[in-house]
Amino acid sequence: MRRTFLKGAAAALMATTMLGTAGTAVAQEDAESFYDGKSIRWIVPYNPGGGYDEYSRVLAPYFEKYSGARVDIVNLPGSGGMRGAVEIFNSPADGLTVGIINGSAMVTNQLADIEGADYRVGEYSYLGRIVADRRVFVAGTASGIESFEQLQSDGETAVVGATGLGGSTYVDAVIVGDVFGMDQNVVHGFNSSGDIRTAMLRGDVTAMWGSIGSAIEGVEAGDHKIILHGEREPAGMLEGIPSVWDLAAEAEDSERATAVLEAWDALSAVGRPVAGPPGIPEDRLDFLQSAFEQAMNDPEFVADAEAASRDLSYASGDDMNGIARAATELPEDIEQLFVSAIRGEI
Amino acid sequence: MGIIEGMASGFSQSISFAVFPYLFVGSLFGLIIGVIPGLSGHFAMAMAVTFLYTMEPSAGIAFLLGAHATVAQGGGLTAILFSTPGTGQNAATLLDGPPMRDKGQAGLAVGAAMASCFLGATFGAVVLAILIPILREVVLFFGPPEVFVLAFLALTFVAVLGKEDMTRSLIAAMLGLLLAMIGVDNVTNTARFTFGSERLADGLSLVPVILGLFAVAEMIDLWVRGGSLAKEMPKALSARETQKQIFQGIGLAFKHWWLVMRCSAIGTAMGLIPGLGSAPAAFVAYGHAKQSSKDKDSFGSGNVKGVIGPEAANDAVEGGALASTLAFGIPGSSSMAILLSGLFILGLETGPKMLNSQVDLVFIMIFTIILGNLIGTVFGMFLVNPLSRATSIRAGVMVPLLTVVIVTGAFAGDRAVFDIGVAIVFGILGYAMKVLNYSRAALLIGFVLGFAVEKNLYLALLLDGPYFILQPIPLGLTVVTVVFLGFNIWTIYRDRKRFVA
Repeated sequence: MRRTFLKGAAAALMATTMLGTAGTAVAQEDAESFYDGKSIRWIVPYNPGGGYDEYSRVLAPYFEKYSGARVDIVNLPGSGGMRGAVEIFNSPADGLTVGIINGSAMVTNQLADIEGADYRVGEYSYLGRIVADRRVFVAGTASGIESFEQLQSDGETAVVGATGLGGSTYVDAVIVGDVFGMDQNVVHGFNSSGDIRTAMLRGDVTAMWGSIGSAIEGVEAGDHKIILHGEREPAGMLEGIPSVWDLAAEAEDSERATAVLEAWDALSAVGRPVAGPPGIPEDRLDFLQSAFEQAMNDPEFVADAEAASRDLSYASGDDMNGIARAATELPEDIEQLFVSAIRGEI
Repeated sequence: MGIIEGMASGFSQSISFAVFPYLFVGSLFGLIIGVIPGLSGHFAMAMAVTFLYTMEPSAGIAFLLGAHATVAQGGGLTAILFSTPGTGQNAATLLDGPPMRDKGQAGLAVGAAMASCFLGATFGAVVLAILIPILREVVLFFGPPEVFVLAFLALTFVAVLGKEDMTRSLIAAMLGLLLAMIGVDNVTNTARFTFGSERLADGLSLVPVILGLFAVAEMIDLWVRGGSLAKEMPKALSARETQKQIFQGIGLAFKHWWLVMRCSAIGTAMGLIPGLGSAPAAFVAYGHAKQSSKDKDSFGSGNVKGVIGPEAANDAVEGGALASTLAFGIPGSSSMAILLSGLFILGLETGPKMLNSQVDLVFIMIFTIILGNLIGTVFGMFLVNPLSRATSIRAGVMVPLLTVVIVTGAFAGDRAVFDIGVAIVFGILGYAMKVLNYSRAALLIGFVLGFAVEKNLYLALLLDGPYFILQPIPLGLTVVTVVFLGFNIWTIYRDRKRFVA
């Protein structure tokens, strides 16, 4: 009995040594030949059918084309996207597991130290960003509100709809409301942003925050109107609509307003990046980053995304590192403001 | 494009060579996904979405919606033959479907279920078509106060659901409500009943709970009891006999056309209400079928009306559920969210644009629902024979096989090992409830509606204050609820007195 155990132990030891040598050998190999014919696990932290899933599935064939690897999309919904983010963070750093994450929400959860936020946004190995989360404030047609100025000056308390406490629709409303001293009543608890839209159509809710991508359709249908946004250089349908920066310049405490809004903007900038766990070998990460860049700039991919009315704003992996750090390292007082907003204490 | 023109164009496209093959394949795919316990319409559509990228819009719509339309039909088959709901929508079918099988009327039950599904789906689709001009107004009719009262009204149907006594049903329903509270409440951000578990923070998923309560519990029961699924029928029905029964069953569904219409109306209306889902619709329809029947006592022990009602309702839901998705591009359920993203992938926009300028596509959806269910009915009949033979396989073989399928189904939804655990825990609970004669249906309906009741009550209070209940529509519905409950209590009181006398 004991003998067999020893034999087994010896065999295990040998196996480990051999695996170890194999590991170093692989690392020396050219990254390109490493990925050729391998399969990459691509984690989507939400159910099939959402924006994150759709971006991934549209992009995957192009990523395959430039990396030579096969992409297996794995949906791991749960904990508002944290389950997938944690899974990516804790996967082996061999460069064979990557995934798309909800950057802005992961940053806010980390700042507020929410249970389950067992990852560090600043430490992921970023391949790059697919899209930034451009935020807009829309008012329902039923409310009769035509502009932000009218909303502020009509003497009525604006009812602003939001999903869960700490969700981005909620944080946006509370932070921007705080900066401009808005007369508003933030009603949270809606199941999804779609439910808030319905309430806005019924006239139960005056206005809501959302991403520009989800607002476009309703604007075109005449269901609601964009009255404020967070873009510094508005283009397209945002032209002629005041931005938070225009308002901040006129605000009483312009300096503080700008500082808070810059932190808020840094959050949106994180957007939807593709990331792997910390510590992916440099040559493989470089290879993945360049494959991602090529895929994102492939004219056919751009056309596909456009056909699916999906916004794109590529940022490189290196830029993403800076963006992620900027969003997680806020000045003390501003971080405090955000944490209380996320926790629903404002 | 006018509506008539759109209808004609939609129909000719649906049966054209460029679209129909996709519709056909999609419907068969949905039927098979439905038969497998734990895999739902949501899953079928999510799989179908991945094929859409290269399809033409009309073919893509037919494929995607076809896969969704027939799932409840396949699920009904499994519910009746294996006492295991193929999808959540079929949980209500378990009340009378399996008892019919035990009486040797499996073919009859399946035939009636299939035909009711088809009729229900057609009803829902036709209502959707009629509503097109006023679709937006209809969808906006339901705000938080209305949904709250309606969900509460649906909840009171537990009173008439089972053959179990009222006290036990109420206990089970309350337990269901409590279970619905599990998770982080996104209104207050407080974790409730999570015991520090991160997986519980999201709340319990519906699929593993249903699989546990009904399927796993059934496996435990079969294991303990031995024998085979078809209790009193040691020998399988002959193929010929089954075929004969199926046609009789189809006939029965048509014979009870008035019941089918009423239950389809319930299903369509509940589909229109955002956030209620299709499982409650089937239970409410069952409650209605029982309530309006002269032989209430035979419900629960194999009354065909108890199969027809819920199966008609759970397919009629489709038409209603499509309404808010089409009118505003706002999905009413997770399946509709997938449909919406599928439409995006196909480069289509919903909302007024589609209703005005692409009404032919809307009609392709409507005809897909109808034709898909027709295909499902025809091919479902072919599935009955081999499947019903399986019901007489002895427990020693059957239990391990079905358990593998059930466990896989519980895992597949969210790819979570945790959900397998949930299914097992609820299996034990379900078995205990079955033995002790507590209504599992009441627990389930409490569980599904708990969330809608709480959330909408909260929103109604915040938006309209405590007197929201005095608005005309909520007030009217409240009166209906009170009358309904009062009538039930009176019936029970009367029956008891008669029994004593």
